[in-house]
Amino acid sequence: MLLNNYLISAWRNIFKHKLFSAINIFGLAIGLAACILIALFVRDELSYDKFWSKADQIYRTHITFSVPGRDPMGMVMTPGPVIHAFKKDFPQIEYASRIARLKPTIIINNQYFVDDISLVDEDFINIFDLEPVTGDLSTALKSLSNIALTEKLAKKYFGTDNAIGKVITIDFDSYKRDYKVAAVIKDMAKNSQVNADALVAIDEPAWKDQDWMFDAWFSTNSHLFFSLNKGSDIKSINSSMPEFIDRNFPKLPFGGSGTKTSDFVYMNAMNIKDLHLKAKGDGEYHEIGDMNTVIIFSTVAILILIIAAINFMNLSTARASSRAKEVSLRKVLGASRKDLIIQFLGESILITALGMIMAIVLVEFALPLYNEILGKNLSIDYASTDLVYVTCLAIFVGLLGGSYPAFILSHFRPSETLKANKSAESNASIKLRSILVIVQFAVSITLFVSTAVVYGQMLYAKNMDLGYDKENILAVKEVYRDIVLKKLPLLVDEIRRMPNAISVTWSNFMPESGNNNNTLVRTGDQAMEDAILIGNREIGYDYFKTYKVPLIAGREYRIERGDKEILTDDLRKGLKYTGSIIVNESALRRLGLGSAENAIGKMVFISKGNPGENLEATYEVIGVVPDIHFDSLKTTIRPEIYDLSPSYGSVISARFSGSSVAFTEQVRKLWEQEIPSIPFNYDFISAAVAKQYNAEQGQATMFAAFSCLAILVACLGLYGLASYTAERRTKEIGIRKVMGASVFDVVKLLIWQFSKPVLIANLIAWPVSFFTMTLWLESFVYRIEGFFILGFCLLAAITALIIAWSTVAGNSMRVARANPIKALRYE
Amino acid sequence: MLKLQDLTKAYRTDEVETVALNNVNIEIETGEFVAIMGPSGCGKSTLLNIIGMLDTPSSGHYFFKDEDVAGYSESQLGVIRKQHIGFIFQSFNLIDELTVAENIELALLYHDIPAAERRERVAAVMDKVGIAHRAKHMPSQLSGGQQQRVAVARAVVGNQSMILADEPTGNLDTAHGQEVMEMLQKLNEEGTTIVMVTHSPSHADYARRTINLLDGHVVTESMRSKI
Ligand SMILES: Nc1ncnc2c1ncn2[C@@H]1O[C@H](COP(=O)(O)OP(=O)(O)OP(=O)(O)O)[C@@H](O)[C@H]1O
Ligand SMILES: [Mg+2]
Repeated sequence: MLLNNYLISAWRNIFKHKLFSAINIFGLAIGLAACILIALFVRDELSYDKFWSKADQIYRTHITFSVPGRDPMGMVMTPGPVIHAFKKDFPQIEYASRIARLKPTIIINNQYFVDDISLVDEDFINIFDLEPVTGDLSTALKSLSNIALTEKLAKKYFGTDNAIGKVITIDFDSYKRDYKVAAVIKDMAKNSQVNADALVAIDEPAWKDQDWMFDAWFSTNSHLFFSLNKGSDIKSINSSMPEFIDRNFPKLPFGGSGTKTSDFVYMNAMNIKDLHLKAKGDGEYHEIGDMNTVIIFSTVAILILIIAAINFMNLSTARASSRAKEVSLRKVLGASRKDLIIQFLGESILITALGMIMAIVLVEFALPLYNEILGKNLSIDYASTDLVYVTCLAIFVGLLGGSYPAFILSHFRPSETLKANKSAESNASIKLRSILVIVQFAVSITLFVSTAVVYGQMLYAKNMDLGYDKENILAVKEVYRDIVLKKLPLLVDEIRRMPNAISVTWSNFMPESGNNNNTLVRTGDQAMEDAILIGNREIGYDYFKTYKVPLIAGREYRIERGDKEILTDDLRKGLKYTGSIIVNESALRRLGLGSAENAIGKMVFISKGNPGENLEATYEVIGVVPDIHFDSLKTTIRPEIYDLSPSYGSVISARFSGSSVAFTEQVRKLWEQEIPSIPFNYDFISAAVAKQYNAEQGQATMFAAFSCLAILVACLGLYGLASYTAERRTKEIGIRKVMGASVFDVVKLLIWQFSKPVLIANLIAWPVSFFTMTLWLESFVYRIEGFFILGFCLLAAITALIIAWSTVAGNSMRVARANPIKALRYE
Repeated sequence: MLKLQDLTKAYRTDEVETVALNNVNIEIETGEFVAIMGPSGCGKSTLLNIIGMLDTPSSGHYFFKDEDVAGYSESQLGVIRKQHIGFIFQSFNLIDELTVAENIELALLYHDIPAAERRERVAAVMDKVGIAHRAKHMPSQLSGGQQQRVAVARAVVGNQSMILADEPTGNLDTAHGQEVMEMLQKLNEEGTTIVMVTHSPSHADYARRTINLLDGHVVTESMRSKI
């Protein structure tokens, strides 16, 4: 009965104070919606690989090569032979499997596909619990000519037909083989770093002519996962890694006799649940997350919630004073303090509930765009406990925002509040309110500055001079396949002949993708063990012309100059000839070759073949190029040599003029005519470079959006507060006007009232943002200057003031203009 | 000092037109003490508000110091008001958040007077009305009579030549009412023109002239010879 009364009275109150209720509900809805969206993102990020039944026991090994004079090279991959030594040396290991993801050509009934195929060891299925659909998964990987498909691929290849027993031909370049579908499994979870579409067993002997794949100690091309026996501790393995390395890895050809391999090679195993957010290094097959991002966004969510709750509190306490008479009357009529607390908390919770419903609607509207920005597939699962969480969140905010006003209101003493001419509100609650407004604005300003810095840094990175011209270059991919390589000269020639082609070249790398090939290089003055590890890229003729990199000295490879590639097999046979080499400025310095002009014509010795073979080739430096930002801007430029590779490459790059679509179509036609079996796969270099920043761009956009929401919610609160204050101060303003204050005097007074907290908020926000953002920027090798942050701080201060003023101005003008006798009349 | 000629004020609210003042003709000399009386709703406050330039007439003329201010804008009126007119209200109308001294200072705040001079004048006027010992108190800590004394102090601190008082004793007991009336009388003797609305005939006796209003009309004007 009583409850009913409370509900009715709460409902009526919400309607009676439409502006307050609207601001409260809308502010809360935005705050909660932002919170829910962030929570969905954070939950997804935290959920990676937690679902495996053995998750606690599964680990992946990472390796870091620390070569003196170079930044350490961290890989999340592991050299192929390590698995065998691991199983031998560590009895704690239950199962171990490598994963190598390749994109071979797949032939089914004369139809060609290019898909990801994961090469794994037999025990893969014992580490990871896959869900079989049909066929026999337990024996699928026992045969080297079996394949297990996910439902997705099975459907793609065979439609609704039963896939079991069907034959798939896979061309790995190293070998081509008919595989029989032995099992179909459920699609693997997206929130996993081991997600695979198809599994075949690794056939090591079949890869003999590409031994770096699975049989080279200093080459990393696959992930290594293992599961520990129950009760074993990963520390026992991680702590004995140095001995393991020295026992099993070949001795490195540098460092001299006093050194061990473990001085340069470092290995460590990380639990699978940590991989997505904590693994650092090159060689991931799937996009990874970042713990910092998760922390940052969680913080933003909490801040937005705080801002929304503050609004709620401020508006409620502000309103409290205008309800003082009502409260006093209720008390006089016999309501206890408890009754009043229940009534006001009930109102708060009702408002929050309405806010929550609106929030869920907002979230559903925002999700498609949100997912697109983040490249995820997030949703609220209404069937699960999601709704419970959301409800708890709403109740929590309702209690948080409602408890203080409830306490304040119920505390009013009728004798005081019913007495005329007495302001109902205590100074303490007015003071608290201005402190809360300061907090809101400090948070908003900090978010504003942080957003500006994040965006500024991203724009800086995106527009930084890379050292080459990324515009108007078409990159034709899939070139590394044998069938394509056979036609490389023909393709290059044909493309070059197209009317809109300016320059054509090829290379074994895409400019923006990581390259971890390194070679030992020395000059004649250096002993063999003093050779320096230098990055190694392979390029074709006209590479620098195509990428518009001006050479500092010398020239680049030209077909007509007879530049030669040195073949390792020739060295093995004892054939001796001099090759040509191009180096970058960093390499020039590391090798001590003097000035660029002086370096031309000097000889360098580059090791070839496998470590231990001690093969060296002689090269003459024919060109010096500036340091170029290939790779990501997150790494420093390494010393590099550019080796001529006349007959091998993975990408053909063509600089063109005119329409990119027309040019691409021309090249596509050529490709489809020459290589019908492999789908034409291309990219534009500018797009590929931009793609590197997709994740950052998405997160920066998200950050900006949430900051705007936070500021919007804060402004809503300020607006409500301003209109309340204006209302509360009408009498005072009337008196002031009678005393001679002009409209301008009054507006000034009100605006100053709201400028003060904003200015104080700036004093708090500036140092906080400067400190945190300086720290954040330090993670970038190439970053914007610190004084930009100060600029953003100033901008934030001005923006905050303008926003605060325009929020308050309307009300102030209205109140200032009003005829004072109206305000003074009914006292 | 001022002259009202055929002055009319009508309020229009939701189709109903209330004529609060109808063809009022009044002249008030400098240094006069005038009381306005009449039943509730007859238009006393309206008249006072128009004289005080807080409101504008619907038609007619209002000569203030020979200047017809009837058509003046709010800001023009504000300038004249600020210079010449002080107010005292029945409900005191002090600002709750300001101290006694600050409330009084308010009347000087918008006059380009240096802070030091303001403080001096506030101190002087507080002495004069006998509330100097309460300077730092908030209005809510004062009795009604004390509050009205603050309001009187505020009305005179700016040296305005005319004070308009709308039922200044309405909220006060007899003793306090008396006190305020004596203060007004003293001000009048010092040369300030005073126009006061009151319901109390005995308080109206302090005035030299009483204007009786009924339904927006001036019904009688009676002069009193000084006792
Ligand atoms: N803002 C307004 N809008 C409409 N009517 C008004 C307004 N102000 C006053 N009136 C009307 O004008 C008439 C005169 O009002 P006024 O306040 O001047 O009376 P009063 O003589 O001061 O009465 P009281 O002795 O009760 O204070 C009344 O009928 C009142 O209802
Ligand atoms: Mg009146």
